[in-house]
Amino acid sequence: MRPAVWLVPFGLLCCLSLTLGVKEVSWSELWRFSGDAWLTVTASRLPRLMALVLTGAGLAMCGVILQQIVRNRFVEPATSGGLDAAKLGILVSLTVAPASGSTARMLFALGFCFLASVLYVAIIRRIQFKSVVLVPVVGLMYGSVLSAVAEFYAYRHNLLQSMQGWMLGDFSKIVQGNYEIIYLILPIVLLTYLFAQRFTILSMGEGMASSLGVNYAANAALGLMLVAVCVSATVITVGAIPFVGLVVPNLVALYHGENLQRTLPIVALYGAALLLACDILGRLLIYPFEVPIGMTAGCIGGVVFLIVLLRKYT
Amino acid sequence: MSARALRNGLWLAVLALAVGFVLLGSAMDFAYVIPRRLIRLAAMVIAGVCIAYTSVIFQTIAGNRILTPAIMGYEAIYLLFQALLILCLGTQSLVLLGRGGNALLSIVLMLGYSWLIHHWLFRNGRNNVYLLLLLGLVLSMVMATFTQFIQLKISPGEFSILQGFNYASFNKARLDQVIYCAVLVAAACLVVHRTLPVLDVLALGRDQAVSLGVDYLPSVRLQLALIAVLVAVSTSLVGPTAFMGVIVANISYALARTARHRVTLPTACGVAIGVFIIAQYLVEHLFNYTTSVSILINLVCGVYFLALMIRTRGNP
Repeated sequence: MRPAVWLVPFGLLCCLSLTLGVKEVSWSELWRFSGDAWLTVTASRLPRLMALVLTGAGLAMCGVILQQIVRNRFVEPATSGGLDAAKLGILVSLTVAPASGSTARMLFALGFCFLASVLYVAIIRRIQFKSVVLVPVVGLMYGSVLSAVAEFYAYRHNLLQSMQGWMLGDFSKIVQGNYEIIYLILPIVLLTYLFAQRFTILSMGEGMASSLGVNYAANAALGLMLVAVCVSATVITVGAIPFVGLVVPNLVALYHGENLQRTLPIVALYGAALLLACDILGRLLIYPFEVPIGMTAGCIGGVVFLIVLLRKYT
Repeated sequence: MSARALRNGLWLAVLALAVGFVLLGSAMDFAYVIPRRLIRLAAMVIAGVCIAYTSVIFQTIAGNRILTPAIMGYEAIYLLFQALLILCLGTQSLVLLGRGGNALLSIVLMLGYSWLIHHWLFRNGRNNVYLLLLLGLVLSMVMATFTQFIQLKISPGEFSILQGFNYASFNKARLDQVIYCAVLVAAACLVVHRTLPVLDVLALGRDQAVSLGVDYLPSVRLQLALIAVLVAVSTSLVGPTAFMGVIVANISYALARTARHRVTLPTACGVAIGVFIIAQYLVEHLFNYTTSVSILINLVCGVYFLALMIRTRGNP
């Protein structure tokens, strides 16, 4: 099927996301551009839709960048310690400068996430692992160590419960005024598309990259920086959403190949669509309450990941 | 130093730790402080034995030194099952089934899971340890998410009961529970000790074991059943321990310098009990309850496991 055809179901998902909610919105009222219905849509439904689409596209792109740099299919922010490092960063900022706003927290999360990713890539590149699956295993272990450090720290400062609260990906808190950081993902997605060729060259290894005139270290650092910005913006506004960056690029590669220039828009589209679908499911399952998207995406993504693994290796 | 002297040293150290744990700062209060500490010590010993036995036996059957029941999702499925039970039957389930009924049901379920994993482990990818490891880790994550989802649906009162399962600690251990667990563990250990030679042969691998006259499948199934029982006991007593089994088993192999289970199993028990006592001691005295045993153990064992992975570079 041509990718453009997917725009139609994607549009339908967007419309569904807009109409869904506990508060009844009468569409006839909407055309007056004021009043209750207008307020509901502009203050809550539209921000939520935008956040969903941007997060989905951004996380899927992060997966692609990391997979090209590490040269492994199973790497994404959740399997390379990025999410856990961002969590640790937010915790540190909460205790060091409790009065500071979300910009400071974002900067802390960004710094920790970037450093952790650089360290992870350094470990992976230094040690030539014989097994392909060992790379995500080491990443998961690395993440769980970072997470244990965060837990240790949080327990000491009595932040354990609140940490569990804000780490679980959840779009229900998104309203106008508290989600605008997420728009940082938009330039990231565009930059990733712009640099797609360079990331493809990086995936051929350092020797090939330098003989083709691409500065390996600088470009890898650039890629990791893009990932760190995207992950920290997501964690600050909605929390952690695992497996999106892993499942989407793998499925796209399965059906559309690996030409990044061509497949990146599809990856972004699928990522956004996956999150939209997970979110709609989460909103319907225990209506009028909501299942946080961290859980729906975690379950669906995890099961798809297991299927991909089993199909590939058995 | 000979291996025997090393092991004797280990047991002396564990004994000293245990005595110190019970008596230090107790003011010889035999009415309250010391009995309370003895219960905690008993819980640690039982949990230590469970973790040591399950890890070593599982590694023998799986034929490698990295996989443990905790990593393959045994603990996650136990917690998921407890959550499901409370979701379906409500808090009455605890009254209806009682401790015995709940334990029995959990053990039956764990048996099923055990055989499923075994079936899968031995048919596909037995030679690819890291694939199994990755599958186990992801499976645990998915099951943990399902458990979280169920927690979302149940009422706060039921949630607090479930939280007790998830974050159990030695401080909450009760006498009746400890006695109950001790009987189960003792029975399981007795069976293991009657089959020690079979375990030694199983460690050689399937083909060798069969040619040496071991009835392979029934023997493996028996050991897996014992693992299921012991994991259920340890999870109900201390909650999930994740990577502790790996560190315990590997230290005991290093100390024992032999593959005989008659030596490695008790050594592993000593190591596990020692680790628990040290962690509990640190929590009580050094950190003054600003951290918990499970957090400490996850931190230390996670670092060790990561180092093990990186050091072996994919050749276990």
